[in-house]
Amino acid sequence: MKRLVLSLVSFSLAGVLALTGCKKDDNKGGNNDNFDRKALLTNYADNYILPAYADMSAKLTALNTAAATFTAAPDLSSLEALRYSWMEAYSTWQRVDLCEFGPGESVSLRMYMNIFPVTVSKVNANIAAGSYDLETFNNKDAQGFPAIDYLINGLGANDNEILGFYTSDAQAGARKQYLLNVIAKMQEKVSAVRTAWGSYRAGFIENTGTDVSSSLTRMVNGFVLYYERYLRTAKFGLPAGVMTSIARPDLTEAYYRPEFADELAIQSLAAVRQFYEGAHYSGGSDGPGLKDYLAALNTQDDNGVLIANIISTELDEAAASVQNLGQPLSTAVVNNRGAVLTIFDELQEVVPLLKVDMVSALGISITYTDNDGD
Amino acid sequence: MQLSFRHRITNYLEQPVYSAALAFFRIVFGLMLFGGVVRFWLRGWIEELYIQPRLFFHYYGLEWIQPLGPTTYVLFLICGISALGFALGCWYRLSSVLLFLSFTYIELMDKTNYLNHYYFVTLVLFLMIWLPANANLSIDAWRRPALVKRTVPRWTVGGIRLMLAIVYCYAGLAKLNSDWLLEAMPLRLWLPAKNDMPLIGPLFSQVWVAYLFSWFGAAYDLFIPFFLLSRKTRPYAFLAVIAFHVMTSLLFPIGMFPYIMILSALIFFNSADIDRFFLKIKGKWRMLPVADGNNLFTFAPLKRRLISGMFAMFFVFQLLFPWRYLLTPGELFWTEEGYRFSWRVMLIEKMGYAQFVVTDSRTGAKVAVNNSDFLTRNQEKMMATQADFIVQYARFLHDHYERLGMYDPKVNATIYVTLNGRRSRLFADTSINLAEAEDSFKHKNWILGFRDKIYGL
Repeated sequence: MKRLVLSLVSFSLAGVLALTGCKKDDNKGGNNDNFDRKALLTNYADNYILPAYADMSAKLTALNTAAATFTAAPDLSSLEALRYSWMEAYSTWQRVDLCEFGPGESVSLRMYMNIFPVTVSKVNANIAAGSYDLETFNNKDAQGFPAIDYLINGLGANDNEILGFYTSDAQAGARKQYLLNVIAKMQEKVSAVRTAWGSYRAGFIENTGTDVSSSLTRMVNGFVLYYERYLRTAKFGLPAGVMTSIARPDLTEAYYRPEFADELAIQSLAAVRQFYEGAHYSGGSDGPGLKDYLAALNTQDDNGVLIANIISTELDEAAASVQNLGQPLSTAVVNNRGAVLTIFDELQEVVPLLKVDMVSALGISITYTDNDGD
Repeated sequence: MQLSFRHRITNYLEQPVYSAALAFFRIVFGLMLFGGVVRFWLRGWIEELYIQPRLFFHYYGLEWIQPLGPTTYVLFLICGISALGFALGCWYRLSSVLLFLSFTYIELMDKTNYLNHYYFVTLVLFLMIWLPANANLSIDAWRRPALVKRTVPRWTVGGIRLMLAIVYCYAGLAKLNSDWLLEAMPLRLWLPAKNDMPLIGPLFSQVWVAYLFSWFGAAYDLFIPFFLLSRKTRPYAFLAVIAFHVMTSLLFPIGMFPYIMILSALIFFNSADIDRFFLKIKGKWRMLPVADGNNLFTFAPLKRRLISGMFAMFFVFQLLFPWRYLLTPGELFWTEEGYRFSWRVMLIEKMGYAQFVVTDSRTGAKVAVNNSDFLTRNQEKMMATQADFIVQYARFLHDHYERLGMYDPKVNATIYVTLNGRRSRLFADTSINLAEAEDSFKHKNWILGFRDKIYGL
């Protein structure tokens, strides 16, 4: 017994001595306040997600009012007011979209809000038919912001032509109704998610584990999926034809308001960074976020830079490149496809950082089967 | 001198120990496996892991082991029934052979589900086939009283003990590396994830706790077999076994493993104590076929020679096989060439992200592959970090897209892997047509360098 203990101790000592020679700098502290997942989840729920849905709701109310005014008396000024409200709401959506997990996911909110490109023929067929069910999956590309985009920006070559579709056109009435119905559907869905969050919140902040069904896992999965599929691929990859090598300007967001697409992308990237860092939705202050948690885990690259910081830096770089594009995305993919591909690559660099580096460090399990491991 | 030494060894190995130890182990191990099969079945894992997947990852050289479709249920049925037969000592030889074969077949169907403790079970079952574990308290012995023997040669029990000692010691040796000991990786990532556990949870946020666990874990694995062997320390060692494995089962999703290890450690108990326990049971239930005479089990000379020779080769292999990684270049934790079947248990945190692109060789048309169309979440997770999975998956994609009409599809992949908290980096050469890559025991030279150094074993 004694000998075993002795050999254990001496073995350990020998191990330390042998290995300390090759030890890297050890500045690995770790502030354990940052490992409080309940505080983190509470911050996300109360300071980002709930205010985000509230804001979305308010913006849709304003949009609805503007649409009501416009449909009551379609003229240039009411059209401009409607466009303004649409842009406000669409910008807000860029900050809400990344919350699609839990109630947002159950409602499939994105499907009613922003599936682009809009399929114009479906919109026109619905208007012509006068009866349609916006609830169905088949109509997902005939509603939401992209459908409104078409209806207020894309019907004609100039504003007078567009106004004509709401005044002199034979289907003017049905078209007005469609516009109102699309907005009403969006309001209905956002309101449903908001209501659901009211009761979901309590369980959300209590479910502090890290397994598949934990709040952190669900939130991160939703967030990373959004970044990869709806930001990187949908906003840049598909229009630039990354896979096909063929530019598809028609696939850009806000296609009928080309200069607005860049702004939306910038909004979306800013929101990703804000969310990642745990900043409040209002922008004023900052709470415990994914970045803080990751920083506390202290994972670093070869140069000793925190991976938590690298993610912010890379997101900034991509955002700056979008800023510098200097022309609408839909023209850029044709005239300056290289620049868009560069943005795509910059966005792509963040994907493994989020999906692999962050998820691995957080110890989240993203396998569905809770099969044994070892 | 040489001869007398050999003689002394042989004599020692042939000394009689109470057969109750072997019988007790048989009952416990068999019942546990039976419970494991029932658990697997009830959780729907047969369907989920062996029937639903579109693609099964086979072991190199064992491609002929194919999934069985709905017949898999029959396989599990055979496994479950033979586990019961094994536990009860009913047609013991037949039961143990069937159990070994069915269990191993299940294990080999898809290497996604590779677990060290499945491998351990397979090895123990192989040893058990040849041992007279039905010589005491078994249905065989009840039907044929001539089978009842009070003692068995020491090496029979010793073989199981040695197997368990190898598992522990090698698991301990594998932890003697700079990541584990000096960085407390991966425990310093894993423990904070469990800091919401009641009472002890807050401790897991502390870095020193990760160090303590790392060092304690390594020492535990290295030395516990010796403490279990020594009569004096055995009770404390067994308490440590229970505490250690209960702790790991609370912290990690490792299913049956902790219980298999706790119950297997019972083989270290003094056979005389177990014999006394058996006699006490017989005192209550007279009809039980418990050995109480003084008859010794002896192998027929030829059988003894064959079995002991086979055991010797088996253990030489067990001692050498985990070192095979030394034959391939590169960091073992990165390439994982020679990682499996080597008792590297809960040793690294590794995660990957693999984006496959399939290109038509004639038209140049490209398709980005959505892995979840073809793989389960578990399979995707395993595939994204292990080269042999990547090779087979690339072949599968090649064949799949060829059937869809692509001309000689080229398969390329961008794969990022993070290991023990390091920043993820490219794992494989993105320019390589992986559909043409071969699987073999040799190093795959398209695996990119690790560009860091992990010191130690």
